[in-house]
Amino acid sequence: MKKFVLAAAAVLFVMPAVQAADDPVATRKAIMQSVAASAGLSGGMMKGEIAYSPAAGKAAIASLNAAALSFGAFFPAGSEAAPGTTASPKIWEDSAGFAAALAKFSAATGAAAQASGKDGPADVDALKAAVGPILASCKSCHEVYRVQK
Amino acid sequence: MRRKILTGVLVAGAAVAAAGWVLTAPRPLSSAALAALPDGDPQRGEVVFHAGGCASCHAAPGAKGEDKLKLAGGLKLATPFGTFVAPNISSDPNDGIGGWSKADFANAMLAGVSPDGAHYYPAFPYTSYARMTPGDVMDLQAYMQQLPAVAGKAPAHDLGFPFNIRRGLGLWKLANLDPAPMVTVAAGDAVLERGRYLVEGPGHCGECHTPRDAIGGLDRSRWLAGAAAPTGEGRIPNITGGEGGIGSWSAADIAYYLETGFTPDFDSVGGEMVAVQENMAKLPASDREAIAAYLKAVPALADGR
Repeated sequence: MKKFVLAAAAVLFVMPAVQAADDPVATRKAIMQSVAASAGLSGGMMKGEIAYSPAAGKAAIASLNAAALSFGAFFPAGSEAAPGTTASPKIWEDSAGFAAALAKFSAATGAAAQASGKDGPADVDALKAAVGPILASCKSCHEVYRVQK
Repeated sequence: MRRKILTGVLVAGAAVAAAGWVLTAPRPLSSAALAALPDGDPQRGEVVFHAGGCASCHAAPGAKGEDKLKLAGGLKLATPFGTFVAPNISSDPNDGIGGWSKADFANAMLAGVSPDGAHYYPAFPYTSYARMTPGDVMDLQAYMQQLPAVAGKAPAHDLGFPFNIRRGLGLWKLANLDPAPMVTVAAGDAVLERGRYLVEGPGHCGECHTPRDAIGGLDRSRWLAGAAAPTGEGRIPNITGGEGGIGSWSAADIAYYLETGFTPDFDSVGGEMVAVQENMAKLPASDREAIAAYLKAVPALADGR
């Protein structure tokens, strides 16, 4: 029985990966939507529109960190002209620059994850300090590597 | 008889040519307007500089921080009319505009006329800047005189016929250079008037956010309704309250976006708007609130894209 559960769990984990490889555009969009949701949660707490909780801060940061580490894997050659994509052709023309922008994103999320610790950032100021550099990296990447449509 | 017809044709042709020559003549500001130009204040000019977004085109592409104040030009704007190259407007007296008189600067900004009396192409958005106050224009010049002098001229524009004939811009200006306000706002509402001034004047928002006609004039009936990007790839969004626009954004959302670069659903600013947003972030909060109030007041139009 235990083996079956493990196998089922393994299948569950493998399945999305298979789908992701099939549709990188849908996958990278889903990841970016999770980034927007986490940024929205963080921003709402920073603006005082959502009551602050360290657990919510931790969840937002963890989600941003997972996104930063995985996002770059879903821009295979050939996915630049996909219908509905807002990815700029510059991602493929200047792959080193795009990699550097992703590295900036994941460096910021990694530092935030480290700072948030086991219980999450203690207060809104701690959240601001952790998430601020992440939010700054959104803009610098979108300035060059996304097309407005 | 034949000679009479020929003479008539020649006379008519000459009249048309003469009228065309008169109509296309560059029209600098009146001597009275030039004589009334105030002295500029460089400190006040800094806000005008950011509101006007000068660095977005005239600093080196991709410049950040202090490098945004080195206005050597060189940015290429690829358009259906050809490629415009932003000129050097640094304080260098030879390659830039450091040697310009107050009248030279005011004629460029408010009339689109160069110091040697030629038309500027409207890639330089004097169609919007013409709505600026002479005081702001002079403050801007005073501020820019204090910025670094950078040697080196930018390459010339690369335009196809007939757009390479500057004189022809005289006709274009007759149709398109009109400093009257685009939107009527409640008289005496200082916030809306300030917002209108910033958006329609120095901010020159309409130059990208409003669709253009076949000869590159703004379609005034679709003010701020979104457009194909005037240069390069992509689309410029509708910033009215109409369908496809920002009707769901509150005034506070707009001001927050201009300050931080985040939309209400926490998408971030991108593309050429990043530089614009970073300039808007340098304005006083009251100016961002005025812009937001104005954008909530403009007529709501369906997406112009």
